[in-house]
Amino acid sequence: MSDTSLTVAVIDPSRARAAILEEGLRAAGIGRVVVMADTADLMERVAALAPDVVVIHLESPSRDILEQMSGVARHVERPVAMFVDRSDATMMQAAVDAGISAYVVDGLRPERIKPILDIAILRFNAFSRLQRELSEARGELADRKLIERAKGILMSMKGLSEDEAYKQLRKKAMNEKRKIADIARAIVTAADLLG
Amino acid sequence: MRLHLGYVPLCDAAPVIAAHEMGFARAEGLDLELTAEPSWATLRDRLALGYLDAAHILAPLALASALALSGPPSDLIVPLSLSLNGNAITLSNPLWATMAPESERLADVAGAFARMAGARREAGRPLTLGTVHPFSSHTYQLRLFCEAGGLDPAAVRLVAVPPQHSVEALSRGIVDGFCAGAPWNAVAVAAGLGRIAALGCEVAPDAPEKVLAVAPRLEGAIPPLVRAVAHAGRWCADPANRTELAHRLARRPYLNLDPHLIARTFEGTIVLDGPGREREAPDYLRLDAAAQEPRAAHVGWILSQMRAAGQMPAEDLLPAAEAVYRPDLYAAAGLSPA
Repeated sequence: MSDTSLTVAVIDPSRARAAILEEGLRAAGIGRVVVMADTADLMERVAALAPDVVVIHLESPSRDILEQMSGVARHVERPVAMFVDRSDATMMQAAVDAGISAYVVDGLRPERIKPILDIAILRFNAFSRLQRELSEARGELADRKLIERAKGILMSMKGLSEDEAYKQLRKKAMNEKRKIADIARAIVTAADLLG
Repeated sequence: MRLHLGYVPLCDAAPVIAAHEMGFARAEGLDLELTAEPSWATLRDRLALGYLDAAHILAPLALASALALSGPPSDLIVPLSLSLNGNAITLSNPLWATMAPESERLADVAGAFARMAGARREAGRPLTLGTVHPFSSHTYQLRLFCEAGGLDPAAVRLVAVPPQHSVEALSRGIVDGFCAGAPWNAVAVAAGLGRIAALGCEVAPDAPEKVLAVAPRLEGAIPPLVRAVAHAGRWCADPANRTELAHRLARRPYLNLDPHLIARTFEGTIVLDGPGREREAPDYLRLDAAAQEPRAAHVGWILSQMRAAGQMPAEDLLPAAEAVYRPDLYAAAGLSPA
């Protein structure tokens, strides 16, 4: 896709996510992509930019500003409308799943908007997948550190080898149907309090 | 049964929050999962597309969603009204000082506002007022406030201001005033930035404000949900429970604001300005039993306001709108009469 005559504004409380979408739209040949901060003067800035399409994250409180800029407000020169493709319920669902809504200048043809939404859906989904993986990785790392500390406590208090300490943790976790990291956390907390 | 309910963090979300917090839902065999929604548009879309089972929503937006005037088409229904009134119009301190109304009576205040707004319009610098969404009683109350002073509402610019931006918008001069629900007017007054010029209950007495909109697919779960939220609303309206209610609402994840500020809303003691001038308005926010029936008269009022604001297509949508409100489901919930 290459739609060099279009101006697209991106509004997202997450700067990182906005940057990822911006890059995707640029790579697809969109003429002008502008990331806008979610601040109180947003309406003035949108009116000044006069974008053809605004892609806005569902978590942005500024969506209601764009709704007010729709046809009902007579002073707005280029009225916008929420893009709802009634013929394509699957795409609407996918957009909301990804956290996206779009507002378009009245009269812009749906076939010019769909590729933009497709890119936004792909990019936002990729972003949340990355975020999930990152937080899982962080959680695993934190768990591993806890288990190391708990092993150390058991080794010094009970004179166990590292292997024996780990086996005791694992046995306790199995007996209590809990995760090893939970048992480790309890040991570390207790040692902090008593130590 | 687990139900997912959306709300926007405001004082008038009290009935849905209390239904969960005070055990009214559990008593009906329901487990409510509440989520604070970041905007009315997102709440509307999540309800329309089935991500939410029910929601605390602006009454006009519920109708606009069901009539396909706003957002994706939806089949929501309204079996319960949550509140009447609850809004106020706050003007910036400089604007209020320039207006210098003869008295605090609505006619004098609206008249003084109209003269200022007219002059600014003549000068090519129209006043800008903030609402919360085009389909809101706030929009209509601002229009009625203009008309009360003999001003054509088209003489002012109407923009939307998300409530959490209202204080900043006022301080930076992005708006000259705004109409919002509690507690945001009190927040602007406490910040020393605004003057409450008129209460919603004076501009349009007993105007329909928020409703409980539900997805009809809930079927058998609707009567217990209506009972739980209605009983919670009546609990909220009882003066004996105000302190506890204000403290619960003030916490995270709900309003996360000063409980005293929230309590004043329920007491109907409204602080109007920085020096602390007060007005007693027992009907400032009505959550009582008599406010709960979803009435055809409310639908009529909202549609006439939509029409006046140029939000309606030419066709007659009144029969379709009346079908959205379900006093029969309210009656079927078997609540004791108001």
